[in-house]
Formats: sequence, C-alpha cells, structure tokens
Amino acid sequence: MKKVFLTCALIALVWGLGYTAELEYFQVHKPQAGMSADEIMQIEYFTKYTKFARDIELNGKAYFIDKSGSVRERSTQRIRITLGRKSDDVAYKDLVTFTSPQVKGLGSLTWTYMNPKKQQDSWLWVPSLKKIRKISAANADDSFMGSDFTNEDILTRRFEDETYSLIKEENFAGYPCEFDKKTYSKDAPCFVIECKPIRSPWYYSKRVLWVNKNTGAGIYEEMFDSTGRMFKTIFKDYQIYNVNGKEYPAQVMLEVKDMRSGHRTVITNSDIKFDQGLSEDLFTERALMQSRW
Amino acid sequence: MVKEGERMKKLLGALILFLLTSLTAAYAGFDFSGYLKNETSLRINEFNGDLTKFKNIVQLAGEYQFNEDLALFSKVRYWYDAMYGFRDEYDAGQRYQGHVQRTDWLRDCYLDYNNGPWFLRLGKQQVAWGQSDGIAILDRVNPFDLTEYWLQDFEDLRIPLWMANLNYAPRLNSNLQLLIIPDFEQSTAAYPTAPFVFYSTSRYENWRLAQNEVDVNIHYPAKRFENSTFGLQWSDKIGDMDYTLNYLSGYYYSVRNYTILVSFPLRRWKVERSFKRWKMYGASFNRTITNEGPLQGTTLRGDFAYYDDEPMYWGNPITASSSGIKRLDNIFWLIGIDKYVVTNWLVSFQFAQYILQNSKPGATTSAANYYFNPYTYGPQDPQENIFSLKISTDFMNERVKPEILWSLTDDNQGRVSPKVTYELKDNLFLTLGIHYFYGSLFDSNGQFRDQNQVYGNLKLTF
Repeated sequence: MKKVFLTCALIALVWGLGYTAELEYFQVHKPQAGMSADEIMQIEYFTKYTKFARDIELNGKAYFIDKSGSVRERSTQRIRITLGRKSDDVAYKDLVTFTSPQVKGLGSLTWTYMNPKKQQDSWLWVPSLKKIRKISAANADDSFMGSDFTNEDILTRRFEDETYSLIKEENFAGYPCEFDKKTYSKDAPCFVIECKPIRSPWYYSKRVLWVNKNTGAGIYEEMFDSTGRMFKTIFKDYQIYNVNGKEYPAQVMLEVKDMRSGHRTVITNSDIKFDQGLSEDLFTERALMQSRW
Repeated sequence: MVKEGERMKKLLGALILFLLTSLTAAYAGFDFSGYLKNETSLRINEFNGDLTKFKNIVQLAGEYQFNEDLALFSKVRYWYDAMYGFRDEYDAGQRYQGHVQRTDWLRDCYLDYNNGPWFLRLGKQQVAWGQSDGIAILDRVNPFDLTEYWLQDFEDLRIPLWMANLNYAPRLNSNLQLLIIPDFEQSTAAYPTAPFVFYSTSRYENWRLAQNEVDVNIHYPAKRFENSTFGLQWSDKIGDMDYTLNYLSGYYYSVRNYTILVSFPLRRWKVERSFKRWKMYGASFNRTITNEGPLQGTTLRGDFAYYDDEPMYWGNPITASSSGIKRLDNIFWLIGIDKYVVTNWLVSFQFAQYILQNSKPGATTSAANYYFNPYTYGPQDPQENIFSLKISTDFMNERVKPEILWSLTDDNQGRVSPKVTYELKDNLFLTLGIHYFYGSLFDSNGQFRDQNQVYGNLKLTF
C-alpha cells in the first residue's frame, strides 16, 4: 500500500513538474541569470509565438530576392489569438490573408495545438475555386509560403523538438542587414545556445542561436547541415511595444539567407497592434468564407 | 462603326482604371485589384499548330468598406477571343464565343453586412458547396459555363447569380446558411464550330441546318418568387471533423431538346426545351489526421448527394437525339485523400461514383437507348466510376509550380493535363500546359480527342 502511495505521489510530482514547465500564458517572461539552456529556450519559444499577448494584428510584407537581385513581393494581413485552452487543446489560432495582387484574397486559417505531437489544422480559402479547402499540413522542412524559411522555422518547431546546451554568453556583434544596409542589435547581451534536433536525419544537424538576455527573443541563428557546413542564417529584429504597462517584444523585421541558393527573404511587419480583444469568431471557416477576392 | 465601338471600350477601360486608382488614393476604405491575361492554345493532333484560342481578358475588382460591418464588392471582366476573327471556319461561333456575352461581364456585385452571429451577402455572387475537386457533386448552387469544357478554374466555370445569402452562427465554428435565388441562368455549352463543342450539340446543329424550318421553343421558369432556387447548408464540427448538411431545391440548370414532328397543317419540326425542378440532399466532410502516427498529415474529404427527380434525357447517342425524359433519383458520392510526401509534393486522389436509379431508359429495349450525361449529353453509364489523381509541387521559392492532373472513368476515357507556372517577375506569370484527351467519341473526354492542345497563359496582376 505504501509502495502504491509512493508511486502515485511520484507520478503526481512528475505530472506537476510537467505542468510547471509550461510557462504561464499572457505573462511576459524574461530570462534570468543562472537559467539553464532549457529554461531560456522555453522563454524563447514563448516569446516567438507571442503567447504573452491575447491577440496580435499586423501587416506583413515579404521580399523574395534571388541572387541576381530580382525581387518579388508579397503582402499579408495577419491576426492571431492566443487561447492556451486545455479543454480543446488549442494553443493559438492564426489567420493570414494575402493582400498583394498576385494572390490577393488567398487566406490561410491555422489552429495550433498545445500537444507538441499534434499537427496543426489548416484551411485555405482558394480564390480560383472560391471555396475553402482543408489542407494537409505541409511538411516541416518545406518552404514557408515560398520564402527561405521552412514551415518549421515559422510555425511548427516546438521546444520539445530539440535538445539545448548553453555555449557562452556574449554581446552580439551586430547584424549587417543587406536589405536596408543598417546594422542591427549591436552589443545586445545574449545567451548563445546550441540546438540539436531530436529527429535524425533531419535537414539540419544543429543551429546556434543568440537569445537576447533582455527580452528572451532569439535574434540571430546559424543553421548547419549534416557535414557541419553553415547553410542558412536568420536574423530577427524585435521592438518593444508598451501595452497596458507590459513590455511586449514584437518581430518587426526578419532576414533569412540561404547560402546554397544565394536567395534571401526579408519580412517586414508594420501596424502591429496587441490585445485589441479580437473575437475568436474571426478564426473560423465562416470568417474565411467571407473573403471577397 | 465597329472600330468606333472598340475605341469606346478601350476608353471606358482606361476611365475605369483611372477612377479606381483615384478612389484608392482618395478613400482609405477603397481597395482594388485586377489582371490582364492572354490565353493562347494550339491544337496539336495533326501537329499543324491550329490556333484554337487567342483570348485577351481584363478583370477589375473593387471593394469599398463603409465601416467594419458593411462593404460593397464588385468584379467586372471583359474578354475578347481574337481566334474567331482569325479563322474563317470559326465565323459561326464569333457572335456567341468571340467576346463576353450579355451581363456575364459582371462577375460579382454584392453588399456584405456583418453583425455578430449574422452575416448577409446580397447581390450577384457564386456559392461553392462540397469538398470535391474538379467534380461538381454538391457544387450545384450556380450553373456552369462549359464553353471550354471543364478546363477553366471553377471560379470562372460558375455562372454567378443574383441571390440573398443569409448566414447565422448559433455557436463558434457552426453556421446555418440560407440561399434565396430568384435569378435563373442555364448552364451553357460551346456553340457549334467552337473547339469544345459537345458532340451532341454538333449533331443537333447539323440536323437543324438540314431542315427547312424548325420551331424552337425554350420554356424558361417564369419570373415568380416560387420559382426561385432555395438552398440550406448547416456546417459544424464533430471533434476534428468538419461536416455540412445540404439541401437545394430549384430548377435544373441543364435542359435537352425534345423534338416533335408536327404534321398538320404543314409538316415541320418542333423543338421543345423545358426546364424542370429537382431537389438535392447532401452532406460533406473533411478531416486531417493530426495525431501522431503513420497517417499523420493525411486529409480525408468526401461528398455525398442524393439527387431527387433529376431530369435525365435518353435516346440514341450516335444520332444524339433525345427520345424522352425521365425523372430519376440518383446518387453521386466522392472520397478524396490528400497528403504531402517528400517535403513539398502534394498528392491528391479522388474516387467518385455517379449511380443512376435502377431504371430502363426508354420503352424500347434497343441497345441504342442510353441516358445522357446531364452536361455533355453523351451516353451515361448506370454506374460511372470516376478517378482523379493530381500531383503538384514547387521549386525555386515557389517561383516554378508544376502540376499534373489525370482524370479518368472506368470506360477507359479521360484527360491528362500537365502544366507549369513560372513567375517571370513580380506580378507577371507564364503558364504552359497540355490537355490530352482520350477515349471514345461518345464519352465526356473522348469526344475531344481531336482537340488535344498545348496552351500558354500570360497574366499580369495589379
């Protein structure tokens, strides 16, 4: 009987630890001195997916630049609602609508679940069909909407997908952006963390990530292939938005470079608004169906 | 006079463009978009490069958002197919297929009103039901323009209608849709001499021209409210599965000639075309398997429709003459599977069955008595098995998008359509492709086996 009780207590403790590992939604979490690589990365993911905010709205512009300098543009309007709801396991819902003429009206609704093993549900409004298509989740290593990001880089990579080790702490040397020729984040204090994917073989063998100590945001990463050669760099510029007394870090510019193809993608976000009280009704098939284009 | 008219149209186009640009600059709530497109195709059967299409299209769409709840949207499209002017043998089709017909230039014109759980879309529009891709099972709210067979995008195939589209969401993720459609248009087929004219249409035209005189009487539904089409769709979720329940009641959009020889007072032919009412009961579903396992990432989707009193014509498919009409209760269902394999290769497979009610077509037992397909009026099997396989992917950051579609039936007839779209530069797209048809002359695809074509589309968006 005693053994059964002890076993139950142990299970409860482990279960409890599991839950405490999940950071509390709608709070801003920042790294603290002495934190482990795992703790820092939990904050990094939390910040990346804006789980601190109840909702976010922004206008995005993507520039696809090939090695000859030819530029293709796409613009989007994006809204997200964070739910962190255990009853139906929904972590957050995203609605992305293309506003540029090439694919005007193309809309994508995505529900992301809290269970890291569960894939997202996605629906697409296809203007050429004038109807909604439920779509199979794209593979994690596929390009995200034609950019140099993979779906995993933007949407699907979770804390549980990698193992982490803290390499060093240093001030970031600064990122010379090719897009606007400015240098970003010079001397930002950072943790440098090595992230290795659990899945093997995978399209990268490791990535080295610079996490800003002040915000918990991953600002720069280098990705390496199985031969140890760096094949991609990603830079993210964050700005702090003061919302109801809280400091929300928001991605305002991203630049990713693929060394193999010489192709670059730059994404700029503007008109960012947090916590407007967006209704969950906006993240339904019915809302997608109302697309006019 | 013709040149004057053309000049006026160009001037009008320039004025609309100027007006839209000015409106966008002047009003924050105004937005517009559009494209210029050329579609060119060459018949390749005899490798002599017959031009079968040289269509130039301009489309403009504009939206004005009065406030968060109210918006006006309109889309206009004009096209001109110069092929009919280039080639003498297509002269007969010029009037009907050389340029946009009647009010078809107005593709959308509606007012959207949103208020809490209520959503109303009032005006000319199209409504798409169902989960099938390229096969119209539940997608029967609007009639179809089949002047280019089923080769166009479904947005272009559907003929928009004036309707009231009322929606109410009693709870999150559910929706009740009521459609009231007082407008009526018939599904259209290609005019004789056009490249994609149905075999049955050509036969009828040959017969008609051989007669001294033929009285053609088309009986459209009278313009009364009770002759409207009514539709109802309930959408909801059960767990991870989306489903709909559908109901449609109205006039069938296709009609076949019924030919009578009147002997008195003078011996002459009389052709009657009368539209009939029918009902459709249906359901659809889709579900993506999101949980971990070998099927993770697989999407399953399906449509089921029960056609109540579907008007079916029967007769001799060789002479393509209709001997009569029967009202059948038919079933059309489909199951589809989609899955990404090897990073970004999307494979979509569909299987559908169109099952006619167990009934003999005519009074005679002649083998020449067949039911006709409701759209093509080719012979229709009592049970048609339809398969389709589509594989698509992309390269160079989605700049190059190849795709291949193979659709076929169990009668060894079908179509293979590979294509590749290349984004030449920002806003400029080039599509090159082939349509290859095979099968018997009397089958849906087989009848176009002499119309195999290579095509190129150039599209500039703005």
